[in-house]
Amino acid sequence: MTTPERSVMDRVDRPAEPMRAEEAVSACTFRIKNLSIWYGEKRAIDDVTLDIASNAVTAIIGPSGCGKSTFIRSLNRMHELVPRTRVEGTVLLQGEDLYSSDVDPAIVRRRVGMVFQKSNPFPTMSIGENVIIGLRLNGVRNQKFLNERLEKSLRMAALWDEVKDDLHKSGTSLSGGQQQRLCIARALAVEPEVLLMDEPCSALDPIATAKIEELIYELKTNYTIVTVTHNMQQAGRISDYTAFFYLGRLIEFGLTTKIFTNPSQKQTEDYITGRFG
Amino acid sequence: MVIPKHILGTFDEALASLRNNVLMMSGLTERSLERAMKGLVNRDDNICANAIADDEEIDQLEKQIDKDGVDILLRFQPVASDLRRVVSAMKLSSNLERMADQATTIARRARKLNQHPPLPEVELVKPMYEHAMSMFKDSVDAFVREDVDLGRAVVPRDEKLDELNRMASHKLVERMAQDPKQLRGYLNLIFIGRCLERVGDHATNIAEDAVYAAAAEDIRHQTLAASV
Repeated sequence: MTTPERSVMDRVDRPAEPMRAEEAVSACTFRIKNLSIWYGEKRAIDDVTLDIASNAVTAIIGPSGCGKSTFIRSLNRMHELVPRTRVEGTVLLQGEDLYSSDVDPAIVRRRVGMVFQKSNPFPTMSIGENVIIGLRLNGVRNQKFLNERLEKSLRMAALWDEVKDDLHKSGTSLSGGQQQRLCIARALAVEPEVLLMDEPCSALDPIATAKIEELIYELKTNYTIVTVTHNMQQAGRISDYTAFFYLGRLIEFGLTTKIFTNPSQKQTEDYITGRFG
Repeated sequence: MVIPKHILGTFDEALASLRNNVLMMSGLTERSLERAMKGLVNRDDNICANAIADDEEIDQLEKQIDKDGVDILLRFQPVASDLRRVVSAMKLSSNLERMADQATTIARRARKLNQHPPLPEVELVKPMYEHAMSMFKDSVDAFVREDVDLGRAVVPRDEKLDELNRMASHKLVERMAQDPKQLRGYLNLIFIGRCLERVGDHATNIAEDAVYAAAAEDIRHQTLAASV
């Protein structure tokens, strides 16, 4: 009878610092104002104004062709790789206009990393080389520094324990989920401020998806994450904020809990409940 | 406003079936309460037995609604208004089941009363019954029609029911002192009043759930929240 008596309340786990998504919105990584994007004559994004909160996950949802990918790519000027694109409006990253004439797109893409729908490790490179290629291209030659960054990035991508003994093997020898985490490690290696993810789990099985989702949850402590997803449940699970796009327009933006329990706009409600079309 | 159908027809069918079972359960609960009260007022043991027998079917419906609700959550992962409707339907069924339990208790107490000479004090619980049933019907209507205003209007009506119960209990306690031979009968009437007061509490819960389902607004415990 030495066990001290415990009340029921003693058994309740209390987080030391409960996350309050409402507070995050006060600090914005991106401020997007009146953004419109054309591909030739076609207007893909139509007058979008939106603030993206720091250290939070923002999910972009909407039907195919609504401009989700164009929008997310405009946040690191990736869409410019498509010929005949034109941009109006402003995209401020930490207050700096990404589309200012004196801004180098390569620098923007270093600050704003990206992970794509299909994992795309460089097939001729080893796992280790895949991770540090960004640093090498930026002129880093210090092997000790590269090794440290390699391990750090793989650890952050929750892949280190699985590949630490196989760093010399080809990146394509990994499973689909591991390849996607390798691509996340590659994006993290250059220490970006933001991580963009364009349907990062759409080609993965539920276990690999769960690992990526867990990773996203952990990464938001240090990064601002913007992710495109077609999976409503995934958006509900991983994001703090959700933006719904339709026909290039931002229809609704708000806290994910609000959007998925009580959206303000009928179009949002119809889309997320599967009544669209 | 006409709500467009889901792209998945089976989702609409599952939601319709859930809603139908809630309506069926509401109807049976209403009938059970009516029978229990009729058995009391008319001193009819058979009607009381019918009210008690209704409970079994209502219990089965509660299980069915829970099963269907979980099935919808699993198969369709509803969000927004669909999610609110499913969650509210499951909460409604729980309240309806407990209302039906109150009807059973009233019927059992009525059978005990029927074994003794009639008590004119039965009249004291009649207005409580009328008020509780009116709250119950309006709360179910609010859910079915997604009528937020009606749902809101039901909630404060519970205070009057509580007051009616206090007054009836007070008078019945007085009668106990005056006529100790009928003590058991008066006690049974106090318990019946208590059951009807509980019916009002459940109707309030249903009205609150109806407002949540229709408008995503949680109107529960507002007095407490305001004081905090």
